[in-house]
Amino acid sequence: MVTTVKSRGYRVFQGINAVILTGVVIVTLYPFVNIIARSFSDERHIVAGQVNFFPRGFNVKTYQLVVSDPMFWTNYRNTVVYTVVATAIAMVLTTCYAYVLSKKHLKGRTGLIWVAIFTMIFSGGLIPQYVLVNSLGLTNSIWAIVLPNAISVFNLLVMKAFFEGLPRDLEEAAAIDGLNTYGILWRIVLPLSKAVIATMVLFYAVSFWNSWFTAFLYLNEQDLFPVTIYLRNLIAGATGAESAGAALSEVSAAAANIQAVTIMLTVLPILAVYPFVQRYFVSGVMLGAVKG
Amino acid sequence: MQHISRRQALIGLGALTFVVAGCGEDEAPKKAADSANKAGAMAGYAAGQQFKATQPVTFDILHLNNPFYPLKKDWLLWQEITKRTNVTLKPVEVPLSDYEKKRGLLVGSGQAPLIIPKTYHPSEEAFVASGAILPVSDYLDLMPNFKDKIAKWKLEPELNTLRQADGKFYLLPGIHESPWVDYSLAVRTDILDKHGLEIPTTWDELYTVLKALKKEYPDLYPMTDRWGVPTPGGNLLKIVAQAYGAKGGWEYQHATWDSAAGKFAYTGAMPQYKQTIEYLRKLVEEKLLDPESFTQQDEQAKQKFNSGKSFVISTNAQAMINDYRPTLTKLVPDAKIVKIPVPMGPVGEYKIQTRLENGVMISKKALENENFVAMMQFIDWLYYSDQGQEFAKWGVEGTTFTKDASGKYTLTKDVDFLGLNAGASKHLQKDFGFSNGVFAYGGPLKLVQSTFSEEELAFQNVMNARQLWPVEPPRPFNDVEREQATLWETPLKDFVTQQTLKFILGERDLSEWDAYVKELEGKNMTAYINLVNTAYDRFKKQHG
Repeated sequence: MVTTVKSRGYRVFQGINAVILTGVVIVTLYPFVNIIARSFSDERHIVAGQVNFFPRGFNVKTYQLVVSDPMFWTNYRNTVVYTVVATAIAMVLTTCYAYVLSKKHLKGRTGLIWVAIFTMIFSGGLIPQYVLVNSLGLTNSIWAIVLPNAISVFNLLVMKAFFEGLPRDLEEAAAIDGLNTYGILWRIVLPLSKAVIATMVLFYAVSFWNSWFTAFLYLNEQDLFPVTIYLRNLIAGATGAESAGAALSEVSAAAANIQAVTIMLTVLPILAVYPFVQRYFVSGVMLGAVKG
Repeated sequence: MQHISRRQALIGLGALTFVVAGCGEDEAPKKAADSANKAGAMAGYAAGQQFKATQPVTFDILHLNNPFYPLKKDWLLWQEITKRTNVTLKPVEVPLSDYEKKRGLLVGSGQAPLIIPKTYHPSEEAFVASGAILPVSDYLDLMPNFKDKIAKWKLEPELNTLRQADGKFYLLPGIHESPWVDYSLAVRTDILDKHGLEIPTTWDELYTVLKALKKEYPDLYPMTDRWGVPTPGGNLLKIVAQAYGAKGGWEYQHATWDSAAGKFAYTGAMPQYKQTIEYLRKLVEEKLLDPESFTQQDEQAKQKFNSGKSFVISTNAQAMINDYRPTLTKLVPDAKIVKIPVPMGPVGEYKIQTRLENGVMISKKALENENFVAMMQFIDWLYYSDQGQEFAKWGVEGTTFTKDASGKYTLTKDVDFLGLNAGASKHLQKDFGFSNGVFAYGGPLKLVQSTFSEEELAFQNVMNARQLWPVEPPRPFNDVEREQATLWETPLKDFVTQQTLKFILGERDLSEWDAYVKELEGKNMTAYINLVNTAYDRFKKQHG
């Protein structure tokens, strides 16, 4: 960086690098661009395989059609509610747990860590888990989505590492000035942890937004389903030719562009959140990694 | 998908042994005759009679939610069921995408609804050992319409194929009066006419036609095929194999009944199976059949066919209307296609098609329900009586359909279904809940055909004239055998599928057939088929 003159080899390397990375970008972006193009295209061009980068037979009718399905909006609203509530609960629990674990003088700390890690390696299995959630009376309610997955052990460990990296003196000083434990956490530690908090919020929010399996397990009414299940069902309906062949009435598939439109509408909000959180994101997620 | 679900079910089974066994096993099942479970039941319920519970009753039912017609609580279907039968159905809504998975979970955890429809044989077998579902064959006396139709349509042999080692069956199947063949080939008749070719009626004629087309269009593959994922050659292998008297593609089963020998033979090693492969090899070798046919996505196959780059493809009635005709006529304006009667082979004018459909399982805990008898009567009425079947398919006379003196059904003007009343403001499935795959399937020939187009009727008339291939005798495994068989089946199936493709695509020469059969031996083919024949002999001895 001292001189601006770069060696020839370095420039060649950069050139090749740029080409390869552009290739990677195209490969990654293409499916997405294709979906956008499809969502605006006329169905018969899609079926004929003519849609690549740009829409053909441009129309927004499909958007109007999907948007006019009340079930889509009901499920969409559910997704938003589940994501917000679940992320809030997850953040509170994860932060508290991680903060406690970051205190080296805590007795039984190793035990507490192992309790968390144990669940990362072993799980009760699908059916026992279902029986448990069901006996707790959580099925068919938002709590079945929100509570069983409230703490992600991976996120917990990342956060713990971050808290451990904060200078101890700071907290001691705060204690001397008369703050109790919660005050320290709330007024000193959390304001210093914006990066990791933003990262965790993003991690949790994206995973709750995308998740469908817990909802599928514990919910029995479509009015309660998140939009991911709506979408999954839509796509399955379009491809289940073999089993659906049994009855004429069942094959009536959702059109290819309806799928594309639904995918677009589902991905858009979470995509819109990314740029705003991104500046925290890189520093936040690296934290655990750099610490030796 | 099927695969995962079965595994899922097995997991369920394992867990069930711990979870449910404790509370369920030691209670002896109560006899159906107990007055304790007769609340709401009709005393003299008989075939052809309208069922109406003597008091309002409620049953929960697993409901497969089809994205094309998502469940609505205000469907006329629900209201009318309650009005006619005093039964309120409480649906547990499960998306179509993962129906089997959730069913396995609910049955496995003991939380399943009493009525579990849309179960395809043999997926009910996974639940048999755990004792979570009802051996319905013990309670057929409660179902006069079912018994009546089995006798009238002579369905006993088909029914026997559902029986387990204990001689009972656990699934109430959907039943057809007459077998309904749907899958065949779509052929571009305008191209055939242009070159003076006739519609092929046999596989040999198809070969000649394809060869003639290849001469005219040397750069193209005259035939390409779809339905290759996830089962390679799902439909094509199936219908070619049928013509030679074997089982392939979607229909592949390890054992095939050899009536001459009076026992089962291993399908993948049968000479008939070899002939099937030889035929397809010939098509691929002479570049008449697109080699990608067995592995490409449907989308690609449709594109080739619809853009006029290929002239023959697998089809069913729905694909003709949805997948081919609309796009094809836009891209190739003069194109004409027809669904040809399934081409025939050495076995002659036969069709192989079961008359059983997916069906209903009943949770065993229903026995303890005070409304058990009423529930069985209700299921009998809804799924098996003439009125029930008509109701489930067409809805309410005067509201959704009318029927003339000859028994011809017509939708009312403002109701659409399958494009029969295109442009109408309401839809039979979406707005009323009728012709819902959960309730409506099978039935008398007249009812099944009532929604067919002219084109499909013509196809059916040809197919109906063909003889039905005899039903194979039952050969249910017991629990120990099934466990063993499952261990052998997966590697065998993978091997057969893989080698079948290699032979067809020419990666392995057919002169190595004997070596291939030897390799099958190495994968326990003989032990497997002996197991099947043991089960067959035992069942024959015990249950005639």
